[in-house]
Amino acid sequence: MRAEQKTASLMAGPYAAFLLVFAVYPIAFALVLVFLQWDLVTAPTFAGADNIRLLVHDGRFWSAVANTFVFLSIHVPLQIITALALALALNRQLVGRSFWRAAFFLPVVISGAVVAILWSNLYATDVGLINHLLVKIGLSPVPWLTDPRTAMPAIAVMVTWKNVGFYVIIYLAGLQYIPRSCQEAIEIEGASAWQRFRYLTLPSLLPQTILVVTLSTINGFQLFIEPYVMTGGGPLRRTYSVVLYLYNNAFAYQKMGYAATIGVALALIIGIVVFAQRRLIGKAEAL
Amino acid sequence: MKLLRRIALYAGLTVAAITFIYPFLWMASSTFKPPVEVGSLALIPHDFTLDNYRTMWARAPFGRALVNSTFVATTITLAVLVFGSMTAYAMARLNFRGRPALNAATIAVLMVPGQLTLIPLYTLIVQLGWVDTYAALIVPYLFNATAILMLRQFFLQIPQSLIDSARMDGMSEPRILFTIFWPLSKPVLSIVAIFTFMGAWNEVLWPLLVVREQNLMTLPQLLTVFALGGGAGSVGVSLASAMVLVVPVVAAYAFLQRNFIESMAGSGIKG
Amino acid sequence: MPSVTFEHVTKRFGDATVIEDFDLQVADGELLVLVGGSGSGKSTILRMLAGLETVTSGRIRIDDRDVTDLAPRDRDVAMVFQDYGLYPHMTVRDNLSLGLRLRKIPRHEIDRRVAWAAGMLGLEPLLDRKPKQLSGGQRQRVAMGRAMVREPKVFLFDEPLSNLDAGLRAQMRIEIGGLQRRLKTTTIYVTHDQVEAMTLGDRIVVLADGRIQQIGRPIDLYRAPINRFVAGFIGTPPMNFVEGTLRESIGQAVFITEGMSIGVPREKTLTANPTQSLTLGIRPEDLRVESSAAQSVDDGSSAGVLRGRVVLVERLGGTSHVHFDVAGGGSRMMASVSNDRLPSVGETIVVRVPPERVHLFGADGRAIGRTAEIV
Repeated sequence: MRAEQKTASLMAGPYAAFLLVFAVYPIAFALVLVFLQWDLVTAPTFAGADNIRLLVHDGRFWSAVANTFVFLSIHVPLQIITALALALALNRQLVGRSFWRAAFFLPVVISGAVVAILWSNLYATDVGLINHLLVKIGLSPVPWLTDPRTAMPAIAVMVTWKNVGFYVIIYLAGLQYIPRSCQEAIEIEGASAWQRFRYLTLPSLLPQTILVVTLSTINGFQLFIEPYVMTGGGPLRRTYSVVLYLYNNAFAYQKMGYAATIGVALALIIGIVVFAQRRLIGKAEAL
Repeated sequence: MKLLRRIALYAGLTVAAITFIYPFLWMASSTFKPPVEVGSLALIPHDFTLDNYRTMWARAPFGRALVNSTFVATTITLAVLVFGSMTAYAMARLNFRGRPALNAATIAVLMVPGQLTLIPLYTLIVQLGWVDTYAALIVPYLFNATAILMLRQFFLQIPQSLIDSARMDGMSEPRILFTIFWPLSKPVLSIVAIFTFMGAWNEVLWPLLVVREQNLMTLPQLLTVFALGGGAGSVGVSLASAMVLVVPVVAAYAFLQRNFIESMAGSGIKG
Repeated sequence: MPSVTFEHVTKRFGDATVIEDFDLQVADGELLVLVGGSGSGKSTILRMLAGLETVTSGRIRIDDRDVTDLAPRDRDVAMVFQDYGLYPHMTVRDNLSLGLRLRKIPRHEIDRRVAWAAGMLGLEPLLDRKPKQLSGGQRQRVAMGRAMVREPKVFLFDEPLSNLDAGLRAQMRIEIGGLQRRLKTTTIYVTHDQVEAMTLGDRIVVLADGRIQQIGRPIDLYRAPINRFVAGFIGTPPMNFVEGTLRESIGQAVFITEGMSIGVPREKTLTANPTQSLTLGIRPEDLRVESSAAQSVDDGSSAGVLRGRVVLVERLGGTSHVHFDVAGGGSRMMASVSNDRLPSVGETIVVRVPPERVHLFGADGRAIGRTAEIV
């Protein structure tokens, strides 16, 4: 219908235009920026492969990538374990089930900036609540955010705490899909609680686990506001994240070409890591 | 034995719940404490004071930031609902050339990490002369691919005979969307509204890039700048400024808790 | 003057041709039924008339006004949908009146028409309910009421009864028929159910693969199907078909197949070549099951009589369906038999095939030698 065609272009046309300007163009221009040097004040100049060469040899960039892997190696497993444990606890007849669920979900709705400011105080060496508790039970205080060994793990624990409620919901949804008949069948087989978990629950939740791994990994690569607020990337650059480095290159050093190069590299790294994770999980499942 | 396990379960849940709720309660109570008390675990201030709020309010334009954040997040949410559902309606229920391409592009856009487009988008805003304007905060968010896909998915399930009936009754397509589809789509609309508002309300990286003028800053941005710049001066003041950001969200969360949880879970399918 | 006219209407979706060169005239006040299987194009025709689907080529007229390119709202037609298409968030009253309100009909006129339709359909007590609170039959009535208040030139029904259970379907079928006779509004009714078509239609259009197979009064389609498709489609239980050839024998045309030979009236074979392979059709209700024994009858191969072994008896109460294998041949047939002398499974029966009730179809499926006596 001609009229339908016309109405449709009126209704979907603005979105198509929006996509061109705010999605397609930036993606294309990102690839152009890789070959430019531009401070946003003077005209951009062609830089050839300078940005790429710089990136390959840029110790700061690679240490930021390494920091992210440190973060992920703590954050992802911890996220799975805590989310799964809480979901299993909630997935039974409980008094006040929706209260518990709401409590775990609370940090999810709160701004990352607030959480970062709040936890800076919880982690504070002298007056922080956590050290306050440690001292109370007779341990010595830990300089959480100022010790290069503990700073990134401390941030990883905090991010896990902030997001766990979200992943609990994902796992709870997955638990709903395990058929009752399967649960009854395995109980009749005489499986212990651990065996039921190991041979029914855990394999059934594989799609959710893949989702948790993927989302928490992508989330980890986006780490920005936490180090920005809590540590500024220190101590000894141990909490410097890739996005923080990208932000500083653009904002503090006005190096648009290099910042865009970091963005492209980061997107590639995310793609590779997520792909590799899926392959690994697929292999593990086949075993 | 069974009873023991039940007690253990509830004890565990209680400890867990305390670790999630207590920090926020401590934060709230600390804003009413004088500096010497902040380090204590107690939730009831010994010397109740509003000084932290007075200081915070006097040192940085938090009232203005509250207005900015409310305006920006509300505008974005309305736009995403109205424009998003118009787009989704066309993509779900109208035949037009380019529909498959638009569908594919929408999905493709969601696969590209935001970091890749962050800098080109920023340079675009600079070139448009939008730095330090509301346009920079709002325009790039007027459409949301996740929202469009969610709405489209929902619209696909509404029976064709309703559209046919409405056309025979003489309605235009936008009218069908807003008077027939919208009343039937309240669940998905509220999910989209909540996750869009939340996202816009809490966003901090983008404002940090495109806004430098204090009077245009959004709440999380001003809060971050305020805390980092040492403007707060004390823990109580910095937490008091955080409260301005938290209280509206927690209040909304208390009322719409179920919708919040569903909307976050729904939006997360995208990643 | 015809009320609705289709002229050479063709509809293509991409490369697929759904309707090909469709011509039809519907008389004023007539109830015309479009019947066919799924994919026959019957709903597409209705939707093109409603304006919900575009026409690839050809014209559609309503009362001599060319409506081919008009929007649905400007065509003066109203439609009842298979799943009713009632607005779930509006009351029955609002559902009925919305189309009128959008057309800026004066308030008192809307109220009058809603009251009139509600009265006719017994909807008065339901006016303030929402569709969810109604039964299937009530929703069906609301959908009809919504079409009625529009007082359109043409009513369109798209399989309106297929979501109802069997009992309600029969009742609503009668109601729709009665209502149409009272309103005398031209009506086009689409269904896949040939019983609905037979009982409702002034005329029936049988469709297959986007083409008209036959148009006619119900009784004509039953008595003189123009091709094998119509013969098999119209009538329950469906017609028996047997493949065979035609021979001349003692000055008479005889249809021969394994296990039977049936003399056929001359006039039925006029256009057939001898030795041409044919299909013979005979309706189950036209077969006469003589008896269980071979007693008086000559032998099984005598003209117009065949023997069969009963394989299944479906008892339906009033009549029963006797399925049997023709002796000496592979074909299985079915006869409708009244209950007073039912054979039992395994029994051999003698079945008489009345020559005047036989239908013959050529290899191309067309009926051969349609006789005047039958039409």
